[in-house]
Amino acid sequence: MLKRVVIASFATLTLAACGEPEPVVKGAAPMLRLHTEAQYRNAIADVFGTQVVVGGSFDPLIRTNGLLTVGSAAGAITPAGLEQYDRRARTIAAQVVSEVNRDVLIPCTPADAKRADAACAAEFFSRVGKFLYRRPLTDLELKTPVTVAGEIAATTGSFYSGISAGLSGMLVSPAFLFAIETTETDSGGKPRLDAYSKASRLSFLLWNSGPDEPLMAAAESGAIHTDKAVAAQVDRMLTSPKVEAGLRAFFNDMLAFDEFAKIEKDSIIYPSFSLAVAEDSREQTLRTILDVVFTNNGDYRDIFTTRKTFMSGPLGRIYRIPVDRPDGGWMPYEFPENDPRAGLLTHVSFAALYSHPGRSSPTIRGRAIRESLLCQRVPDPPGDVDFSLFNDPNSPNKTARDRLTAHSVEPACAGCHKLTDPVGLAMEQIDGAGQYRTEESGVTIDPSGDLDGVAYTDAKGLGVAMSRNPAVPACVVNRLYSYATNKAPERDERDFMAYLEKDFADNGYRLTRLLRTIATSNALFTVTPAPQQTAAVTN
Amino acid sequence: MLDLNQRSKSLSNWWTAGTMAAAVALLAASPAQAKTLGFVLTIWNIAQVETKFIDECPEGFNIGYDELWWRGLSKDDRAKYTDNGLRTRLDRYFNAIRRGPNKEDVCMNPTAVAAPPHLLVEGKQSYGLNLDGDTEGKAGANSCAHENFEGVDGTKGVDNQMYRLLGCVYGFRSYGQFEVNANENRKSNGNGMTLFEITNVDDVKNDPDVTVNIYRAIDPYTLDGAGQFTPWASYRIDAPDGKPRYKTTLKGRIENGVVLTEAGDSNVPFYGNYTYMNQLIRDMRVRLEISDDGASAKGMLAGYYDVDQLLFYVTGLGPIQSTAISDCPAIHNAAYKVADGYPDPNTGKCTSLSSAFNFKAVAAFIVHPKKEVESASAGK
Repeated sequence: MLKRVVIASFATLTLAACGEPEPVVKGAAPMLRLHTEAQYRNAIADVFGTQVVVGGSFDPLIRTNGLLTVGSAAGAITPAGLEQYDRRARTIAAQVVSEVNRDVLIPCTPADAKRADAACAAEFFSRVGKFLYRRPLTDLELKTPVTVAGEIAATTGSFYSGISAGLSGMLVSPAFLFAIETTETDSGGKPRLDAYSKASRLSFLLWNSGPDEPLMAAAESGAIHTDKAVAAQVDRMLTSPKVEAGLRAFFNDMLAFDEFAKIEKDSIIYPSFSLAVAEDSREQTLRTILDVVFTNNGDYRDIFTTRKTFMSGPLGRIYRIPVDRPDGGWMPYEFPENDPRAGLLTHVSFAALYSHPGRSSPTIRGRAIRESLLCQRVPDPPGDVDFSLFNDPNSPNKTARDRLTAHSVEPACAGCHKLTDPVGLAMEQIDGAGQYRTEESGVTIDPSGDLDGVAYTDAKGLGVAMSRNPAVPACVVNRLYSYATNKAPERDERDFMAYLEKDFADNGYRLTRLLRTIATSNALFTVTPAPQQTAAVTN
Repeated sequence: MLDLNQRSKSLSNWWTAGTMAAAVALLAASPAQAKTLGFVLTIWNIAQVETKFIDECPEGFNIGYDELWWRGLSKDDRAKYTDNGLRTRLDRYFNAIRRGPNKEDVCMNPTAVAAPPHLLVEGKQSYGLNLDGDTEGKAGANSCAHENFEGVDGTKGVDNQMYRLLGCVYGFRSYGQFEVNANENRKSNGNGMTLFEITNVDDVKNDPDVTVNIYRAIDPYTLDGAGQFTPWASYRIDAPDGKPRYKTTLKGRIENGVVLTEAGDSNVPFYGNYTYMNQLIRDMRVRLEISDDGASAKGMLAGYYDVDQLLFYVTGLGPIQSTAISDCPAIHNAAYKVADGYPDPNTGKCTSLSSAFNFKAVAAFIVHPKKEVESASAGK
């Protein structure tokens, strides 16, 4: 298990941050964004426990500025999606009131289980509603489910059926499905996020879930409007096991690992690749990253060079490494010093996800590196690309490098391929399923190249070049701030981004430090007013 | 010590799996540069020469228990017990198998009925080895007189009385229900997993001195999406408290890429047709041919197979016999007649059958217990 050994140093680090004043940002309008699937699941687990199963599929979100979380600000619920939410809500509610769970999850016992009990219903709905909506319920918001519960109980002769109906309604309420921020004015007449909106920003950034009881209390008392209280809450929250889930969610989003849900491999070409391999490869990389940046509080850039990782049974077949628990579970593993693998670019996850079903793709891999890890924009290919050269099994061009060289002589293609292919070709010794190879079609693969002038001889070398590239830490700063604010940084935030980058560098590229700096910054909570939206939501 | 670095040079080298297996095994005593190869057995069949028109069985296949039972019924009983012929062989199994004079199950009591005739293989060729060193079929110090086969490669004096006994029983053919079912059982439930570990390998093509260890694994096969065996998976040795439950060690050599062992009494784990066995195979020799890419292997092992052990298996086959077409008393009676090895010192009658088995395997990492304790020696 990952050990949490990093938090004790936060108080000391806080002092170091005081060296330079934080640049002021203009801020943006308060958010209204659809919760991601993970956030929905976390909310249900937080309120009702993991024994309540959340089924069904969620509508996809649009990745924006490299993150689904940013895209969620433009997320909408389609009619079909609403049906799914409704069905899911009914299933969850039925589990909550089931005979197995009701005594634990419902804090009171009705006087008569065959009749309505408004007092017990109100106690239940006010308690769970506060955490589902991430703020206390208004009178109307409480009255509605209590009324529904009463009517259904009268009709069905079951108090618990009534509770189930009322809870189902809450679970399809916009107040639950969306993060809806509201603003107020401070004592100086300036707009600010209200206390509960602030609490939610913190909890979703650090935990990818809603606020807990102490954070809600800080919001309820208004203490959260002081820097000291925010810092105290952040430091408390950073010691929670939920931070690991928060960081995991961030990297899952940043690396577009949600795409694993759609990964497909040709079983004839890659018989060893299975669903278990896909799932474990994703988990391996996330574990490796968390081991570097969280458990060991190491330099973020080390994720590109670390030989330390974790291995499972299914992955052992791909890496050709023996594992001591082939029936399940993970074991720490360190690639030998002169092994061709080190760092996440050599992991099965990255290689397999960014490939075609039946072959590798230097272009897709190169684009992923440029866009996800260096925050550079690579234009989409034109619609009339001729792929026949790639798909011809009798092509005289045996290796991907040969084929791409022939292809990129087209002026319309050359520009982008010059950006993607050199880095992507570095990974050619790892095939489309993540297996190591030295030859393609009987010809020795040449994985050498250079990244922005830094030469390398293989994917491992590319990892070293990445770790030394200034765009790499700048990119994770950009992404983490975007993740925190659910928007791409604006022009007026350049100074603040530079401030974060410097703070990140000055503190050894410790990601937990960056997380704390963002979480305790004024920039995270700075907003411009949006009074009309606020009014609409309240009602 | 172990050459882990070789992996980076070429994973296509076929000894890689073994190298890594040795890493797990922590073979501290291994000589410098020695490598280890690992394989998990996937397909196991009684080695049989099966011609297209069954020439080796000129009178056809043996009839099974169901037909023998049916022949003994009156016309009225045939109608009664077969529901006028509408009951399947499987459905009437529990009637048919009790054809003893007192309704005995004739598999449990094979001597309860007069031994029915049993057709033996009459073909001249067989897989296997010349186990007794004799080419004329004469009795020796450790064998009874029997007719020899000629090997499929022309070898004289090949001994394979198990083939002679079972080659004309439909269920024991490579496509018969017993054989197919046994392999499918193992594939689906992972019981009776057999591991071959070749250690002390200095040269994978020619090495005069290697060691072959046979273990049972506790992990089931890893299969690909098409249900095929996947190479390079890890398998833990069945070793409660660090002591391998099954372990056989044979000295061997590698000639032109083929592993050949010396003879030794061996314990080979087996599971099939719902029966576990610790197969004792005396004077067992193994031939293992590894593919060029090292991902798979095929081989043959031959030795003397205890008759009682075989009959334990045959009599426990149960309702599978309904589709495999066999009869316990017939095999029981014939088995002792054709036994050719290990004569009983008191009776002089042989107690073992010369035998040969073909098998296939895929490369595997063999994971030893962290603290391995010396296991009981083989041959018990």
